[in-house]
Amino acid sequence: MDKKKVRPWMPYLMVAPAFTVMLLVVILPILNTVAQSFSTADGQFTLANYQYFLTSYEAFESLVFTVIEALSTMLLAMVFSFLLALYLRFSKSGISRIIGRLYLLPRFIPGIVAVYAVMNIIKDAGFINRFLQLFGIMYKPGLLYDMKGIVICNLWFNIPFSAMLLSAALSNVADSYVESAKDAGCGWGKILTKIIWPLVYKDVIVAATFILMGQIGAFTIPYLTGPNNPKMLGILLYQQVNTYLDYQRAAALSVLMFIICLGGAVVYIKSNMKEEAWQAGK
Amino acid sequence: MKRLYYGLGKKKFLEWIFFAVFVLFFYGPLMNMVVLSFAGDYEYPDVVPTSYGFKWWDYILSKSQMVDTIFTSLVLAVVVTLVSLLICLPAAYAIARYKFRGRSLVRLSFLLTNAFPKMGIYTAMAVIFYKLNLMGTFVGVVLVHIVNTMMFMVWIPSGAFRTVHVQQEESARDVGASPLRVFFRITMPMAWPGIVVASLYTFLGSMEEAQGSLLIGLPNVHTMPSELYGIIMSFPETAGSVFAVILLIPSLILLIVFRKYLSAEALSNGLKM
Repeated sequence: MDKKKVRPWMPYLMVAPAFTVMLLVVILPILNTVAQSFSTADGQFTLANYQYFLTSYEAFESLVFTVIEALSTMLLAMVFSFLLALYLRFSKSGISRIIGRLYLLPRFIPGIVAVYAVMNIIKDAGFINRFLQLFGIMYKPGLLYDMKGIVICNLWFNIPFSAMLLSAALSNVADSYVESAKDAGCGWGKILTKIIWPLVYKDVIVAATFILMGQIGAFTIPYLTGPNNPKMLGILLYQQVNTYLDYQRAAALSVLMFIICLGGAVVYIKSNMKEEAWQAGK
Repeated sequence: MKRLYYGLGKKKFLEWIFFAVFVLFFYGPLMNMVVLSFAGDYEYPDVVPTSYGFKWWDYILSKSQMVDTIFTSLVLAVVVTLVSLLICLPAAYAIARYKFRGRSLVRLSFLLTNAFPKMGIYTAMAVIFYKLNLMGTFVGVVLVHIVNTMMFMVWIPSGAFRTVHVQQEESARDVGASPLRVFFRITMPMAWPGIVVASLYTFLGSMEEAQGSLLIGLPNVHTMPSELYGIIMSFPETAGSVFAVILLIPSLILLIVFRKYLSAEALSNGLKM
């Protein structure tokens, strides 16, 4: 009975601790960053910090490099993970069941450990090089300190990550949908585009935006495996802080990167809000 | 090869190849690392070590500074998980149960750590932490780790709480249980799988977080991942592998213990609002 007249401040009280931490540790610093980005070292208003990055060739190169890297990671990860998820969903073999257990693990391996493990394989004196020498082939992969190295390490994480999201989505595709479509004479192409895709495209968007957002600010992987020049935006930001100690410029770059991510976030939120409306209706 | 192809049939043969590629790509690097960690002699161009032993384990474990980081990381992860549960579960419950002004906004705010560049947040955080005397402190690092995985800790349990029917809670209240008792005896057990998954995300997230610990924790708080940065740069791969394998062990144990809670569905919940 008294459940009906919930005290109106109750939910706020319950949300307060978590939100306070968020406010203090994330939101205030972000607002502070935005303010900093418009000021000089001694607190005068300026647009120079933004001007610097918008006109600097180095920053432009980094932006192009990051965008190409992020898009290739995203596309490759989506294609492979979609195939993997389809296989896991529709194959009933023993191998598929084993892979179904094994593919979740990489999501939980500490990032830096995995990067290190992959580095030891692909570096020029790594496993691939040593193994091929057994057959008298001297091959230096040249993958490390190159965009390819970053993409390979990222695929290691992101294929399982998005395969996980897509498998969850594909479990909504009942066998009966597929069978009835087959009975009505549909080929796999049609089943894929007309039945499976509409049920999973939202999760494809979620996975893709998370991968993209992750790449824009990525630090660990490019720091350990990427080239010195051009570099990813995350490294450029790190340099502003650590090498040049230029916090105002770093702030401006953070804001610019946030704006890029925001594009992705908007798509993500929009596709999620649709679900909201559907849930509210039930 | 040809005999295998005809023996298994085309479909099976392709499936085995796919399996081999999968295992090589995802598990090959890890297996190689485990082998290297037990290396005795490993010179270029040996494919695998020519002799084995615990040489590098002894080497790493004899450095008290490195052993300390192992303890720091474990204690940190436990504290982070407990504190995170304590402050996030009420929020998750409120978001699941009550309609209040600003609910979507609160819920969305937890996405911020994933949308704003981490390095930018940490730098800005450092400025505020300086004023609060939190730089280089354990508490400071705990806060960084908590906000990193807060999204999972709020969104996943929130989804789990929503599946518990209000009527079940109400009937317990009707027979006289206090609200807290209802929560611990009815709601929480039913939402348990979600809470476990969220805690795993938080614990393992804390175990792997490196950037924030580096920026906020140094020079006093050394965690394993932040130490590993230096090790990768300056130690031979055999010593680095030992340290990396040690860092891997807690993840493996937890994943094996809690494997029945880990399904693609349960894990994806935290990424959707």
